[in-house]
Amino acid sequence: MAYSKDERAYLWLCACTRTDYRERVALLRTAPSPAALFEEAEEYFSAAGIPREKYSADRAAREAEAEGFLAFLEEREAFAVTLLSDEYPESLKAASLPPLVLYGKGRRELLTARKFCIVGSRITPPWAEKTGVAISREIAKRMTVVTGLAEGGDLAAIEGAVGSGNLICVLPCGLDECYPAAHISVKARVERAGLLLSELPFGETAKKYSFHARNRILAGLAEGVLVLSAAMRSGALITANCALDYGRDVFALPYNVGVMSGEGCNDLIKKGAYLATGAEDILSLYGMAPAEAVPADLNDSERQVLGILRESGEMHLAEIAKRAGLLIHEASAVLSALEIKGVAVKSGGNKYSVS
Amino acid sequence: MIAKIICYALNGLEGVPVEVETDVNKGVPSYDMVGLPDTAVKESKERVRSALKNSGLLFPMNRITINFAPADIKKEGASFDLAVAISLLKASEQLFGADVKDTVFLGELALNGDLRPIAGLLPILISAKGHGFSRFIIPAGNAQEARFLGGAEIYPAATLSEVVDHLLGSSLIEPLETAMFVPHAGTRTSADLKFVKGQPMARRALEIAVAGGHNMLMSGPPGTGKTMLARCLPTVMPDLTFEEALEITKIHSVAGVLGEEGIVTERPFRTPHHTATTVSMCGGGNKVVHPGEISLAHGGVLFLDELPEYKRSTLEALRQPLEDGKITVSRAGGTFTFPANFMLCASMNPCPCGNYGSSKRTCSCTPAEIRRYRKKISGPLLDRIDLQVEVDDIEYDDLTSDEEQESSEAVKARVEAARRIQRNRFEGSGILTNAEMGEKEIAEYCKLTREGDEILRSAFDRMHLSARARARIIKVARTIADLDYSEEIQPKHVFEAVSYRIFDKIG
Repeated sequence: MAYSKDERAYLWLCACTRTDYRERVALLRTAPSPAALFEEAEEYFSAAGIPREKYSADRAAREAEAEGFLAFLEEREAFAVTLLSDEYPESLKAASLPPLVLYGKGRRELLTARKFCIVGSRITPPWAEKTGVAISREIAKRMTVVTGLAEGGDLAAIEGAVGSGNLICVLPCGLDECYPAAHISVKARVERAGLLLSELPFGETAKKYSFHARNRILAGLAEGVLVLSAAMRSGALITANCALDYGRDVFALPYNVGVMSGEGCNDLIKKGAYLATGAEDILSLYGMAPAEAVPADLNDSERQVLGILRESGEMHLAEIAKRAGLLIHEASAVLSALEIKGVAVKSGGNKYSVS
Repeated sequence: MIAKIICYALNGLEGVPVEVETDVNKGVPSYDMVGLPDTAVKESKERVRSALKNSGLLFPMNRITINFAPADIKKEGASFDLAVAISLLKASEQLFGADVKDTVFLGELALNGDLRPIAGLLPILISAKGHGFSRFIIPAGNAQEARFLGGAEIYPAATLSEVVDHLLGSSLIEPLETAMFVPHAGTRTSADLKFVKGQPMARRALEIAVAGGHNMLMSGPPGTGKTMLARCLPTVMPDLTFEEALEITKIHSVAGVLGEEGIVTERPFRTPHHTATTVSMCGGGNKVVHPGEISLAHGGVLFLDELPEYKRSTLEALRQPLEDGKITVSRAGGTFTFPANFMLCASMNPCPCGNYGSSKRTCSCTPAEIRRYRKKISGPLLDRIDLQVEVDDIEYDDLTSDEEQESSEAVKARVEAARRIQRNRFEGSGILTNAEMGEKEIAEYCKLTREGDEILRSAFDRMHLSARARARIIKVARTIADLDYSEEIQPKHVFEAVSYRIFDKIG
C-alpha cells in the first residue's frame, strides 16, 4: 500500500515524534499541509513552542524515521490508516477527538463496511451471553460487528461474529499487546478472521484511561450500539453514552428488576433506548430482515419442556420437572438435549432458561 | 550352639521371612547384632535382656552373635523382639527339646516380659501362610486381627513366660478360633440419605456414582449439605466381601489405624484435610513406606472437601491412581505398590465467595476471580470426575423439604441390583464396575445407537470435550442404563450422562 506524501507526514508526526494529540492538531492547523509540516518541521514546531528533543530537526533523519516506521509496520503485517485516507471510517470523524491514525491488522476492507457495535460488561449472565452470541451471529451476516476484547459481553459478540469474519475488535492497547492477557488466543482468532484496530502505537500497554478512549472509537465506528449487560457503573454504559453523543442508535437487552448486571440496560431503556430481544429488532431498524431461524428437531417432551421455559423464563430444574410431570433426572436429560440442540441454556444453581 | 528362629519383616504390604540366627560361644561376654538392623531393632538388645531377666530366665553371659538373614533387606521396628528372645533361649539351651522349627514368632517385648502388639500383623500372617508356615505365636493384643485367618494354628501369648511354658509343654496356650466375617460388625455411622433434605440432583448423581464406581464432584454454596451427602456414600455402597475386607484390613494394619474389631467391616471413608501433603496422600516415608490416604480409602471413599484449597501438586498426584487403581511409591529403600482403588468424591464452592448461582445472595466475585478459583483444579483432573453436580442453595431446600426422603437402604437396593448386572457382564475379566472399563470393554458392552452417537457427536463439538471425557460419558451412560435395567444405552441415558459434565460447559 502506497502512502501519499501527506499521509507519510501524518504517520511521522503521530508515530515518530513525542508530541501529544493536542500538539499534533495545533501543528496540523498552522501548517498549510502535512507535507509542508514535514519539510519545514523546525519552523512550525518552534512556532508551536515544541522543544527540539521531541522531534528530529534534521530532514534526512525525519525521512529515515518515516521510512523505518513503514518498514516496521510491514514487518508486522499491520497497516495504518490516517484521517486523510479514503478508507478512514467516515462515521468515526464525527467522534470527539477522532484518532489521527488507526493501526490495523487483518481484513482491511471491513473499515468501510457498515458497522454495528455490541458491547457488554465483564459480568454478563449466561442467558444474556447466549442471546448476545445469537444476535451477533445474525448481525454479522448483514453488517460488521464491532466490539472489544474483554470477557462477558465482548466475548459473546466475538463468539457470534467470528465465524463469518465480519468482526472488528478495537483494543485498548497497542496491536502487539493483549488485554486481558488471557485472551491472547481470542485475539489471534479475531486477527485471522476479522480485523483488529487500535489508535495506540505498538508497545503501548492498556492504562486505566485507555478503556474510556477506546469506547469512544467503538461508538464512533458503528451506526448503533447494543448493550448486552451493564451495571450502573460500567464501561458498556460509557460506550452507550458516547453513542448517544454522536447520535447513534442505542439498543439494550431488558433485564429483571433488581439484577445488578442489567441495571444499566434497564436505565438506558427507561431513557429511550430501543429494547432489543433479538437480531430482528436491530436489523429491522436498518431495513434488513434476519435470516430464517432453523427449526430444531425436537421430540414431544423436549417441546413440552421448551414450552414451559418459554412461558416462565429462568427456572429451577426441580420446578421444571414438577411442571412437566417428569422425574428430576429425566428432566435433566431433556434439558441437556435442549442445551445440545442450542435452544436452552444453563445458568448457575441448576437453573435453566431459553437461549 | 546355633539357633534359627523365623520371624517376619514388612515390605510394603508384603511380609518377608527373616531368619534370626543366634550363636552363643565361649569367650569374653559380648552381644552383637548384624544383618542390617535399624535402631529400633538394635535396641531390642536391651529390651530382650530385661525381659528375660524379669521373666525368671537366664541371659547368657557369653559371646553372643545375632544375625538377621537375608542381610540385604532393611529390618525395622520392634516386631523382632520375641524372635530374638526365643533364639537366645534356644541357643543357650534353655528351651531344651522344644520344637521351634516352622513356627513364626512375632511380637515386641516390654521390659517386664509382656508382649506388645505390632502393626501390620495381618499382612504378615497372610504372606507367611502363603509361604507355607502354619504355626504362629503372636501378641495377645493382636488376637482380634488374627482371628480371621483360617487354616493356621495361631497362639496368642500375653507374656514371654507364657510362650516359654507353651514351648516346653508345661502349660499350653489355647489356639485362636477362626472367626466369621460379618459386615457392619462395628458401630454403624449415623449418616443416612433420609436425613438429607432436597438435593434431588445430587442424590441421583450419588446413586449413579456408587452404582458404577464413578467419581463425583459437588459444587454449591457453603452450608448446603455437600459434606452430609458425601458421608452418606458408604451407606449406599454394597457390603464388603471377606476378600475385600481382608485386603483393606491389610492396608489399615500396616498403617496402624485398625480399630478394635481387628478387621475392617465398613467401607472406609477418608477425609484428609486440605493441608495434606502429597506424601500423606499417596504414601511414602523415609525407610519404611507407609500407605497414604488414597490407599487407606481403598475399597471406599476418598472425600476431598473444598477441592480447590488442596495443593495443586497433591491433586495432580491423584491422576495416575485414579486411572490405575493403585499407587507405586519409589524410595531409596525400594519400590512399593499399594492398592488405591477408591471412589473420589470432592466438594467445592462455585466461586471464592461461594454465592455464584445462589438464588438469595449475590456473588461478589469478578469473572477473573472465579476463573482463577476454578483453574486451581486442572482440566485433566476434572476430566476424570465423571459426575459433576450443582448442589442447590439451602433456601431452595426449605421450599421442597416436605417430601418424604428416600433412605440409604432403598438406594442401596438399586445400587446392588445395578452392581449385579455389572458383575455378570464382566465375569472373569477382573473388572467389577463400569468405571473400570477399558477401551476394549467400551467397544464391546457400550454400543451406541446411531441416535446416541449423533447426540454424543454434537455434545463433543459444542462442549469441546476431550477423548477421555467422551469415553467417561459413555461409561456413565452405561451405568444409568443399568440402573434402568436397560440392555441398550438409550438417547435419554446419554443426555443424562452429558448433563453431569457442568464444568465442560462453563469452561
